[in-house]
Amino acid sequence: MSKVTLTIDGIQIEAQKGEKVLWAALEGGIYIPSLCAVRGLEPPFAACRLCFVEIEGRGIVTSCTETVADGMVVYTNTPRVKRLRRTAFELLLSHHDTDCSSCPGHGNCELQRIASRLGLKLRQNRFRPVPISYPIDSSHPLITYDPNRCILCGKCVWVCNERGSGVLNFAFRGIDTVVTTFFGLPLADSGCNSCLECAAVCPVGAIALKRDVRPPRS
Amino acid sequence: MGQIMDEVIEDETAFVLRLYSGERKNLVPILQDVCDRLGYLPRAAMERIAEHLAINRGEVYSAATFYNQFRLSPPGRHTVKVCMGTACHIKGGQLILEAWERELDVDVGGVTRDGQFGLERVACVGCCAMAPIVVCDDVVHGRTRPTTVKGIITNLNEREHDIRGDSGQGD
Amino acid sequence: MIFEEIRDRAIREWEGLRNSGRPLILIGTATCGRAAGAMEVLERIERELGERGIDADVVQVGCMGHCYAEPLIAIAKPGYPPILYGYVTQGTASQLIENFILGDDPCLEFALGALEENELIPTIFDMPRFRYERRILLERCGFIDPQNIDHYIANGGYSALVKALEMTSDEVIEGVRRSGLRGRGGAGFPTGEKFGICREAEGEPKYLICNGDEGDPGAFMDRAILESDPQSVIEGMTIAAYAVGALHGYIYVRAEYPLAVERVRFALRQAEGLGLLGQDILGSGFSFGIELVRGSGAFVCGEETALIASIEGGRGVPHPRPPFPATSGLWGKPTLINNVKTLSIIPHIISKGADWYSSIGTEKSKGTAVFALAGKVINTGLAEVPMGTTLRDIIYGVGGGIPGGKRFKAVQIGGPSGGFLPESMPDIPVDFDSLTEAGVMMGSGGMVILDEDNCMVEAARYLLDFTQRESCGKCTMCRLGTKQMLNILEDITNGEGRLEDLGLLMELAQDVRDGSLCGLGRTAPNPVLTSLSYFRDEYEAHIIEKRCPALVCEKLISYYILPERCERSCDACVGSCSVEAIYAGKGGVKVIDQEKCVKCGICLDSCPPQYSAIVKLSPLSLVPPEEKKPEKSEEGDG
Repeated sequence: MSKVTLTIDGIQIEAQKGEKVLWAALEGGIYIPSLCAVRGLEPPFAACRLCFVEIEGRGIVTSCTETVADGMVVYTNTPRVKRLRRTAFELLLSHHDTDCSSCPGHGNCELQRIASRLGLKLRQNRFRPVPISYPIDSSHPLITYDPNRCILCGKCVWVCNERGSGVLNFAFRGIDTVVTTFFGLPLADSGCNSCLECAAVCPVGAIALKRDVRPPRS
Repeated sequence: MGQIMDEVIEDETAFVLRLYSGERKNLVPILQDVCDRLGYLPRAAMERIAEHLAINRGEVYSAATFYNQFRLSPPGRHTVKVCMGTACHIKGGQLILEAWERELDVDVGGVTRDGQFGLERVACVGCCAMAPIVVCDDVVHGRTRPTTVKGIITNLNEREHDIRGDSGQGD
Repeated sequence: MIFEEIRDRAIREWEGLRNSGRPLILIGTATCGRAAGAMEVLERIERELGERGIDADVVQVGCMGHCYAEPLIAIAKPGYPPILYGYVTQGTASQLIENFILGDDPCLEFALGALEENELIPTIFDMPRFRYERRILLERCGFIDPQNIDHYIANGGYSALVKALEMTSDEVIEGVRRSGLRGRGGAGFPTGEKFGICREAEGEPKYLICNGDEGDPGAFMDRAILESDPQSVIEGMTIAAYAVGALHGYIYVRAEYPLAVERVRFALRQAEGLGLLGQDILGSGFSFGIELVRGSGAFVCGEETALIASIEGGRGVPHPRPPFPATSGLWGKPTLINNVKTLSIIPHIISKGADWYSSIGTEKSKGTAVFALAGKVINTGLAEVPMGTTLRDIIYGVGGGIPGGKRFKAVQIGGPSGGFLPESMPDIPVDFDSLTEAGVMMGSGGMVILDEDNCMVEAARYLLDFTQRESCGKCTMCRLGTKQMLNILEDITNGEGRLEDLGLLMELAQDVRDGSLCGLGRTAPNPVLTSLSYFRDEYEAHIIEKRCPALVCEKLISYYILPERCERSCDACVGSCSVEAIYAGKGGVKVIDQEKCVKCGICLDSCPPQYSAIVKLSPLSLVPPEEKKPEKSEEGDG
């Protein structure tokens, strides 16, 4: 595979031809936040709207969908980029149970990581919280699923259909979109094969291993 | 219509599935046909469809919950759809909808307690020139008013299958 | 069968119908006509003809575009010019049979005009609107039986396909390119260029999709064409398929259009029956089949990648572009996807030539545009005008202006993806680029006219409510951004808005526009952005004065009975009120119990016009304090 060279934030970066800007940047040590990106997945899911960059001649784009090109000049921290990703981040928090202390993902949460890396607040007050009150599913012996913490990145749906038993899917749409099982059956009755991959890919604390459960070998 | 017997669900679903191969692209047309025949998509029907297409039943549920046209619960004997398109809206569609809710004593999306009427909103039936529009059991009523609600209900009750327009063009 | 034979037979049938010596009655039974009672009129006509043993032909036709005057019938009686009648009731239908079909009185009092030049009465083409209109796509609509392919063929149909099949596919693409045609789905991408990209794209088989998911509320052009002239769409698809090398096509029609679905399905069978579709079309060696796909009710499926996902058999959720469908679409194969109007204009371009087409319209927007006029305009219905016609000419010239002497306030153009153009811009030429410059969008061509009685904030709230409901929910910006914008707009229309909300609303609108995944999200803020820039004063009145200037927003208005105008002995309002909120106060003057009132407005309609005692007031503080309703002993029983 041939290589291309692009410039990200003034730094020359070499990347595989066909690679997306997001992965080229991360490999080159340049941080771009993202929640939903899965390397190699085509087409990219492109749902979280956090990985914006500004590319000369192209304008604002999501880096997970933009293929690298020779001589491409990319900026990850322009005022417009910062503004868009802050808005997307705060919108996500406006529909998310932000009581971190009771969250199984506390301390290992991508939202927390993004907030500290980018200096964003986990308590936003620009937007009114959108009520969210799904029941928590603790039926499964090994994992808990709390839809109120789900940010709809889709990784669990992807991995469950790719490597698991395909019981997790999106249901409904718009603001009511939720990751769930057939007719919302408890996970224990859903036909889940307990591969636990969903808990491994969940970037927040929505699907988490129950205490004392050892993570799967990846 | 009310709850449907398990055998009916089984028969009707099997009838539809005989018309389609097991290709994935048939999922939505199958759901449409089953919903047309049963009035809604019962859980058992979705499980049969999943088997037929050899996909996870969750995928069937996923598609079924995405589209406006699919119901997951039994509809009313009559379905009243109030158009909420732009033209209907600016000509008082919201007032029409509220009049229906009051008259039927049911919230939009629901079915009256006696199972007679289901009240739904519809995005736009493309009949904007005759706004505001109400569609009752597939009969399109144009230029409706909050005051015409009672008349339409009486008509529906009186003549189950032979419904006239209320647009002032009748006798 | 060779085409000449098919055409000759069709012409014989068509001429036979026109020159049968019997009266011919055409009745418009597209959805608009039906909503106005056309089926009842049809029933009455057929019954009376039968009972009286009258020998006449009755043909159901589609939509002529004069929806305001539905139901419409046209009568061609030997010895008279064909005459079009509007606002036909069952009663007038009987009279027409009695006096015109049987007698010699053409009942000109019900006539809109003749359909051909004659010495008796003016034609409908003498109507002022036809000074502005130029009908190409709509030419046959309402004049032929959409369920009879011979009518289409006898009127020039399928000769373009014959011509195209004699050309090379490159020549067809070049013709479309030179015509300057741009996609009628909204974005206005050059059609010939799209054909070229798809033609060159690698991957077999190639697919063609006709996007008939006309989801914009307020738009019904595609419905009218599919219901009135479905063969034109099929012919256009077949030519386009030949040009790009597609073997299989889909025509995606939204679920809310059951009649269009039925007519297209029937039309496909007829075209296949004559060998105009299917294997080895007209012996050319080119094969193309079309499958009808019914939508299931999701606005987002008008977005091409979502539509493709829906056909593939799942949730209609968009994917990022590129890749564009022309290179990687249905099942990852090159897929040409075009709007109904784009495809149905193709036969005209092939028949009459690229130069003819490009002579119509403006420099960058060629041809005609079909608009659906609805809302507060006299002549609701369809209009087809050359691109670049001014807004004023469309609304006043074709539309006949605003009913009831009201003041024109704005036009909502392009549906939820479009925006509002204010009355201060009447001379804006309506074409792709001028509209985009003004912050709105051509969209697919819906125009809903708003007058002084419409509230711009409430109209923007309505459209945001629509997009918010129809958001697929995949991407953060659209799923939550439209929800948060709607929250703010609801606050404002409820009288709970704050001035600083306007800044946040603007910021959010820009971010949703720039940051959403697909066209639905990217254009959803347009109604907010345009209403904020053209009607900011209305937003401020809601926020600062708690006043809805147009007297629409329920939470900010009260219905009030002017004591000095109330007739006192009249009980019309009391009887009309569905929640028993009106009572007789001191001296018989009617009073509205503001706490009970649900603001349905029925009393206002019921108050006899000579009194006009009921008014709407805003802000609420304008309502004078009332004497308390005399306490009666009846206990509230629920």
